[in-house]
Amino acid sequence: MLDQILCIDDDPITLMLCKKVIVKSSFSNEIITAQNGEEALSYFNTMRYAKNKSNEQPQLIFLDLNMPVMGGWEFLDYFNSPEFSEFNTIKVVVLSSTIDPEDLEKAKQYPMVIDFLSKPITRSMLEYLKNKME
Amino acid sequence: MKSKTNQVIIIYIVISMFVAIVSHKLLAQYISDPNHQFYIFTKDILFIFLTGIIFKLILSKNDNRNISIFKKLKNTNDEIKESNEKYDIVAKATSDTIWDWKIQEDSFSWNKGIENVFGYTENEVGNSSKWWFDKIHPEDSIKMSIRLYSFIEQKTENWQDQYRFKCANNSYKYVLDRGFLLKDENGKAIRMIGAIQDITKQKEEEQRLKLLETVFTQSKDSIIITEANSFDGKIPNVIYANPAFFSMSGYEFEEISGRSADPFNSPNSDRNELEKLLSSIKNKQECLIETISLNKKREEYWVRFSMIPIYNSENELSHWISIQRDITDEKKQEKEKEQLIRELTQNNKDLKQFSYITSHNLRAPLSNLTGLLNLLEDIPVENQELKEILNGFNKSTHLLNDTINDLVKVIIIKDNPSIQKEAVLIKEIFENVFSQLNFQIELYKPIIKLNFEKVSIININKAYIESILLNLLTNAIKYKSESRKLKITITTREIDNTVVLIFTDNGIGIDLERNKDKVFGLYQRFHNYPDSKGLGLYLVKSQVETMGGTIEIESEVNKGTTFTLTFKNKQ
Repeated sequence: MLDQILCIDDDPITLMLCKKVIVKSSFSNEIITAQNGEEALSYFNTMRYAKNKSNEQPQLIFLDLNMPVMGGWEFLDYFNSPEFSEFNTIKVVVLSSTIDPEDLEKAKQYPMVIDFLSKPITRSMLEYLKNKME
Repeated sequence: MKSKTNQVIIIYIVISMFVAIVSHKLLAQYISDPNHQFYIFTKDILFIFLTGIIFKLILSKNDNRNISIFKKLKNTNDEIKESNEKYDIVAKATSDTIWDWKIQEDSFSWNKGIENVFGYTENEVGNSSKWWFDKIHPEDSIKMSIRLYSFIEQKTENWQDQYRFKCANNSYKYVLDRGFLLKDENGKAIRMIGAIQDITKQKEEEQRLKLLETVFTQSKDSIIITEANSFDGKIPNVIYANPAFFSMSGYEFEEISGRSADPFNSPNSDRNELEKLLSSIKNKQECLIETISLNKKREEYWVRFSMIPIYNSENELSHWISIQRDITDEKKQEKEKEQLIRELTQNNKDLKQFSYITSHNLRAPLSNLTGLLNLLEDIPVENQELKEILNGFNKSTHLLNDTINDLVKVIIIKDNPSIQKEAVLIKEIFENVFSQLNFQIELYKPIIKLNFEKVSIININKAYIESILLNLLTNAIKYKSESRKLKITITTREIDNTVVLIFTDNGIGIDLERNKDKVFGLYQRFHNYPDSKGLGLYLVKSQVETMGGTIEIESEVNKGTTFTLTFKNKQ
């Protein structure tokens, strides 16, 4: 079981679904959510400048692509930059409804993206990820 | 002859001597004085000798004159003889037909040419001028006779004319007839002699050249003939240009003759094309270029311009031919076409993007619904009505999900005009497909006959062929006949370079007479089944065609359906 997981999605229902499925399948202890890329980045920034460095960081991010303010790709560009190098061990799983083959190809360019999965999140999907990360 | 003169002289002398001696003897009887006798005799003898000598002189002089006259006559005779011989030889050798017309008597004679050239036999040839005139082509005859008689009247020395002369086989030959008049001492024309030359070949060649010339004069394309050599690295100077060039460029012949007709005279002319042309000229190579050019009115037009080097029989460059065409309209259309293609490409791209976004936006809430329904599975529902409602909700959601997924597949196929293919074992494909349909196969236990002995490997996209077979098998199971056991036969065969896959079932079939055009269409349903979406065959056809194959259907209601899929086996 993971300690902390970050779900980035603008759809509250999707976030609700994520939480429920993750809890049900005991995938992670703590679930943090962000409504878009910018919110997620500010979460990491707060974490960086927080005095209490012992604060644990998420081990996995579920990332949606299509979001207002800052989408998934823009988030990945920032997150991949040297500015966020201290978080470069965090793995990302793109969780999207897109069917555009170009998106799939694009995702392969980011080293932290370990998988590209189609919504909805399911228990079998989490089982599969659990195996993959071990 | 000389000896005869001498003979005459000697005879004269002998006779005179004889007379002198006889008269001397006779006189001797009457005259007794021997001195006197001797004196007279001596005088006679002297006289005879003297006259003899004078005689001889006169005669031999005469003789000499006669000899020289005779010689002259002989020479003249020889010359005439030779000249006659020459004439005969020439008349025989020349292809000309020679005629001789004694005008007063209207007697007309021909040499052998009338037989050799025009094919008449000796008997056929007439001996009056009428025969001659009759053989002249009716269209030429009046014109020719007017000219001939006016020549005879004016009595100039030479005459020539061209006309068509009839041959023995009724065809006509073009001839050149040249003649001259012989006049009597009063200047009256009494005789005319002419020579007819067969110029049919020249005339035909002339006509052929005239015909060929129409290409040059009538062509809508501009044609320019230039000198072989260029000066100062320019385009060679114009020798000749056709009317189309003048109407295209607006220039007169005098304005361009002997100059370099440079099509690169606009500031917008293509410099690269000019370089290309000049280097071709330098290397004596054929060249085709296109550029903007200016006409005389300084208006721009697009010209397609070729230069072709022409070599003579000694294989030396003799001149260049340049063919040019105004392609302004063509260029305009091309530009419009390009613009259209650009717009269409952009539209297509936008639409593609639109379809991806739409499908994304549809899929996002739908995935939430599926996810939520998945969660419901673990929660026990006591209320029976609620359970029914949730059940319906669940079914509809999954059907919607399937539809959206099929549509998504279609979008992806349509976006991928060419797909990667690989050699796949047909058996392996079927194993995969059957394992996916395991539940339905167990349920209905259809008889499935597979025959892949002929072809076992096929060059195809694995995911697509699996999807195709999955669809066809699902259809066969879905639309099986209730009254008989489902039987499916799948055979592969190789025909030429293609692999044919034949898929036959004994199901309820499709009424093709009514639905022939629609059978592979989008959202076409032929049976009122709750879970049919009208997408399967459309998807199958799309996938088959994306792989470069074809699909055909044969079906009879209540008998069954056969699908024939054809794929190219080689790339």
